[in-house]
Amino acid sequence: MEPAARLDHNHQLSLGEFPYIIRWREDRCKRCGGCTAVCPVKAIEPAVKVVRTVSTEAPIPTPAVTKKIVHVVEQVTDIDRYCTGCGTCMLVCPNEAIEPEYNPHNKLLHFKNKGGDAYKRGGRRNDPSISTLDRLKFTRISMLTDPALDAGRHEFRIRTFLGRNLPPDSLPLETRDGRLVVKKDGVFVPPVREIYPIMIGSMSIGALSPPMWEGLAMGVTYLNEVENMPVVMCSGEGGMPPGLLKSRFLKYFILQIASGYFGWDEIIHALPHMVEDPCAIEIKYGQGAKPGDGGLLMSYKVLSLIASIRGVPMYVDLASPPTHQTKYSIEEAVAKMIQSMSMAWGFRVPVYPKISGSKTATSVLNNLARNPYAAALSIDGEDGGTGAAYNVSMDKMGHPIASNVRDCYLDLVRQGKQNELPLIASGGVGKKGNLASNAAALIMLGASAVSIGKYIMQAAADCLGDEYNRCNLCNTGRCPRGITTQDPRLYRRLDPDKVAERVVDVFKSADIELRKTFAPMGRSTELPIGMSDGLSINDKSMAERLNIDYAC
Amino acid sequence: MPAKDDKKLKVPDKKTKSKDNTLTIHVNINSSRVSSRILEERIQQAVENGARNLHVIADGQHGIGGRIWPRNEAVRISVEGPVGQRLGSMAMFGTEIVVDGSVSDDVGWINCGARITVLGDVTNGAHNAAAEGFLYVQGGGGARCDTMTKQNPRFDPPQSWYFRDVGDSFAEFKAGGIAVVCGVNPRNPENILGYRPCVGMVGGAIYFRGKIKGYSEINVKQLDLTPQDWEWLTVNMKPFLEAVGRNSFYDELTRSADEWKKLIAYTPAEKKTWKKLKMLTSDFSREIWEAEVGKGGIFAQYINHDRTILPYITIGVERRNKPVWNNEKYLPPCVYNCPTHIPTHKRASLIRQGKMKEALSLVLRYSPLPATVCGQICPNLCMHGCTRGLLDRPLNIKELGGMALKLPAPKPAQKTGRKVAVIGGGPAGLSVAWQLGLKGHGVDLYEAENRLGGKIELCIPRERLPHKILVKEISRFKEVGITAHLGKRINQKAFEKIYKGHDIVIVACGAHQPRRLTFPGSGDTIAAIDFLKGINSGKDFNLKGRNVVVIGAGNAGMDVASEAMNCGAASVTAVDIQKPAAFGIEMEMAKGKGVDISWPRFTEKYDKKAKKIYFKDGASLAADLVVMSVGEVPVLDFLPLSVHTEKGWIEVSEFGQTLDVKVFAIGDATSAGLVTHAIGQGRVAADVIHAQLMQYDYMPEVKQVVPYEKIRMEYYDLCSFEGFEPKKEAELCMSCATCRDCHMCEAACYHGAIKRVGHKDGSYEYIVDDDKCIGCGFCAGVCPCGVWEMVENI
Repeated sequence: MEPAARLDHNHQLSLGEFPYIIRWREDRCKRCGGCTAVCPVKAIEPAVKVVRTVSTEAPIPTPAVTKKIVHVVEQVTDIDRYCTGCGTCMLVCPNEAIEPEYNPHNKLLHFKNKGGDAYKRGGRRNDPSISTLDRLKFTRISMLTDPALDAGRHEFRIRTFLGRNLPPDSLPLETRDGRLVVKKDGVFVPPVREIYPIMIGSMSIGALSPPMWEGLAMGVTYLNEVENMPVVMCSGEGGMPPGLLKSRFLKYFILQIASGYFGWDEIIHALPHMVEDPCAIEIKYGQGAKPGDGGLLMSYKVLSLIASIRGVPMYVDLASPPTHQTKYSIEEAVAKMIQSMSMAWGFRVPVYPKISGSKTATSVLNNLARNPYAAALSIDGEDGGTGAAYNVSMDKMGHPIASNVRDCYLDLVRQGKQNELPLIASGGVGKKGNLASNAAALIMLGASAVSIGKYIMQAAADCLGDEYNRCNLCNTGRCPRGITTQDPRLYRRLDPDKVAERVVDVFKSADIELRKTFAPMGRSTELPIGMSDGLSINDKSMAERLNIDYAC
Repeated sequence: MPAKDDKKLKVPDKKTKSKDNTLTIHVNINSSRVSSRILEERIQQAVENGARNLHVIADGQHGIGGRIWPRNEAVRISVEGPVGQRLGSMAMFGTEIVVDGSVSDDVGWINCGARITVLGDVTNGAHNAAAEGFLYVQGGGGARCDTMTKQNPRFDPPQSWYFRDVGDSFAEFKAGGIAVVCGVNPRNPENILGYRPCVGMVGGAIYFRGKIKGYSEINVKQLDLTPQDWEWLTVNMKPFLEAVGRNSFYDELTRSADEWKKLIAYTPAEKKTWKKLKMLTSDFSREIWEAEVGKGGIFAQYINHDRTILPYITIGVERRNKPVWNNEKYLPPCVYNCPTHIPTHKRASLIRQGKMKEALSLVLRYSPLPATVCGQICPNLCMHGCTRGLLDRPLNIKELGGMALKLPAPKPAQKTGRKVAVIGGGPAGLSVAWQLGLKGHGVDLYEAENRLGGKIELCIPRERLPHKILVKEISRFKEVGITAHLGKRINQKAFEKIYKGHDIVIVACGAHQPRRLTFPGSGDTIAAIDFLKGINSGKDFNLKGRNVVVIGAGNAGMDVASEAMNCGAASVTAVDIQKPAAFGIEMEMAKGKGVDISWPRFTEKYDKKAKKIYFKDGASLAADLVVMSVGEVPVLDFLPLSVHTEKGWIEVSEFGQTLDVKVFAIGDATSAGLVTHAIGQGRVAADVIHAQLMQYDYMPEVKQVVPYEKIRMEYYDLCSFEGFEPKKEAELCMSCATCRDCHMCEAACYHGAIKRVGHKDGSYEYIVDDDKCIGCGFCAGVCPCGVWEMVENI
């Protein structure tokens, strides 16, 4: 005879193990079910509780027992449905009766390996400590020493160059009839774009929902068309819809090619119909959030939209392997890819690789420095974000961007090429909300431009994620904000026009902040790339490592 | 106040008085230039001494003519020669300064009321921070003129008049005062206000005449002059032109207000009304974006839903989850665990509705022997599974079964004309015959013994099953019109005949051939089945005071041991090679009688003469009688080749069908089991046989058991009564997976989306209004019975 099954409490987790604990207030709740209807992970559910009281009101012990059955909202202790703290319940609650509370004692990582699979998630590195970028201060304030500049009055040229800048003696110029003219015969003049020094980094259609991606694209286009700010955005690996490829707005976009080559046959098909060249081509070799790890778009996200744009069948997992399959050495990888991509647009478009922050960055850089077609090097530091990765890749792999970009810049300085090959830095820019100052710090350490991702998702679409592992549901397709999902019921929560508006807000205000940062340092109204004597840090070893001043 | 070294200043100097009472001050004495400090002291001294007309012949001194404190008289200062910076700075009302020629930077700096006339050009920063007074400029101004000017409400606003034009960055941060730029003979006819005027300007006004190239649009706006402006301008133009000696231009400058424009600052209130964006992004999206990339945006061709924005709380097709009233989708644990699937929850429900008779007779639809089996010999797997057991105790289903004893047999259905044969009148055979008989089929039941009941009759100790209960139920069994052929043992030939004469043959012959272990002396043991059969048929084994050993401590071994004790045995020991398989009442009863259970024991030999049984570990036991209770196997020698057997048992499908489609087999003939298993198999097979006979397609529905977590036990109080009373017992039932019609879901639904709908046949259902339901799951969360379930809304 089989013994009757019984509830097994032995392997049941207590709420204390969970990273977020739902605080629910019975006295405020009207049991409308809003919270349980929206919870993306079904971490809460309606339940029934017995409330029993024994009281006595008489002068002698006279017990009166009352029993009440109440309906409650309860957090489940199933690790597969753990509360991620997104707070959507709180957002929809009309009575402020519910909210998740972070539990610093949680043991999520002890249990999230259930089923033998390592913990995968989206988001960013779970490290809420202050990054190097946020520790950098601008300490060289000019008042009387250099011409003091006024951020409001003086006109700053907050612009940078994306593309290979030839040194003066290599410029293909000659004097003809007393005038300076460009030589015509057989001289390769590298394409260079003048862009805004903060760009929106590569986030693919697929990783992002249609309204999110289109909202960003519209915001960027608005900045160019209405505000006259040449902000550009990278497509991410996943192609672009033909409507955009064939539009004159293509010049505001950087097309990314990565190891999956998704969307590229569609791009090539659209080539003859293009009325503008793209801003640039980014070749992705690595990503700061998950160095050495590839991309994976889960099959449930590969619906008709993604399938058509990427040129793949529906309902299949789309893997972008960690490495490109046809490249076996740095020489070959760089030369081959840069050549191919340059050739596609007749060498009119800057082509540059993007790597994850790494001790090997200078090796890549030196290779690029020798390649006349390399337009820049983009380095993505460990504080970057991603739609899906193993937790271990996100939390433990990668290199901080500050010293990485600094090493590269100083390397260029040693070669006298610091003005030739632009460095694009990313990974944690605006991690704590300090978008402009982080960008300014990186620029002064030597970056020509910075790239942002998480910040714009938080600022433009209210992404709920943070470094306390809040939400970080990007990989599940259940993004409560509608940012990283292909489910129309979720992404239709997001208004692309609002996203665009916030993108405009972000860049306009960052522009003011950059001026407010650069102006007091005086000297110039040009972008202070590598002007590291304006920076200090209150840590001696960091100062030494970054070759900047120590101030305390 | 005079300076401390006043006396030193009184040395004879070049201070001379002219005929018109003007004091002339030279700043060069003997080719030596007087410093700005000395000149200042002299001027202050002269004014102190009563001079009211001064003529200064300057040589680049700083701040000439300022700081003459008001004396209710005009102090006129004319200046010639090169002047230094900040002429007339911090000058007060009553001071009138006329410079014959151009001046250097910052003329009239923080002017506090003086009238300063420059018969030439002013350079950079003229009237910077002026707060009151006049600056009349015969020529033009340099960069950053009229910056930071303000108006003190106590005084008239400062006025700055430029006859020609001004340089770049004009009127930055201007907070008050009026600037007039006449635009006569400008240096740059295309732009008389220079590059980017009015940055940060917050107050005052600029009247200008001529072309300009832009201004700080976030600070000021350009307007036409109002009649009031025009009147002010034409009135005040006169003294200006008079002062700079350009009266002849009056007509030209005042010929038309249309030639003039003014720049005034936006008020904070106006700025507040400004849209933050130059263009709404929604307009941009429609007019610019979609115009270029296509209507509906870049993804329009791939999506087939509205582009409207959805709220977080959605209804209808936009919900993520939806509730389903899954009444009876799952089996309650009692039903699931009962091999016969007797629906105890329905019995409880009928009792709660006051339908006691229906409730009790329901069981006869499932079993011919409820009082015998449920009520007596069954281990009641239903009760082991009962959800209620998690709270306090299971429902007393045993007693409920016992209550069916006196019920009459249900009325069989109309005769179908089909004929079936059942071989074996044990529990399996009785069950299948009963079911098929009730369905109206003609049933021939063949039993080898002279009594029906099989092992229940033959082997089960009477103390566990009072014989009269069995007899009573067997008599009820006979009421359904089954033809029982008693004492009819079937051989191959007989089978063939039966096979030919019936539509279906069901083999339910049980297992009556004892299995035997062989060891020296094993021939001197007797089989458990023979022992038990002997006891039940009244045979005396003469065990009084004897020692009995039972090999095999399963439930049959326990029955043997108990009966041996009943026969007065001095000791009974049940041995086994492993942990005894016995459980429940059989084991309790045996132990209660003093039966010793010993394991592991591997029998070596039995010496009948020595009355001793030896074990391989060297131990031995006294044994007058050794009963071997290691199971029985069926005797299947009568079966045709078409019925496949496997290791001595008949091979059957899940529903009892053998490889011969006409032959079914159930009960111990297929594998050893409990009586309740035999009865359950009989019922399941009967349904399948019925379908086969009536030629319709049927597969028994296999339902899952409801998970305990779905049942909300919180609603129930702990059971507080003792004894058995059907009505109270029925109240204990939690109606697992079956709606108890309590309306809890309807009441809990905040959105009023759930409604109970009654049907004409008395049935009912709860339905969901999809246009109200938000998919919150409250119905599923609070349903006492676990009937509501949430599913993905796809």
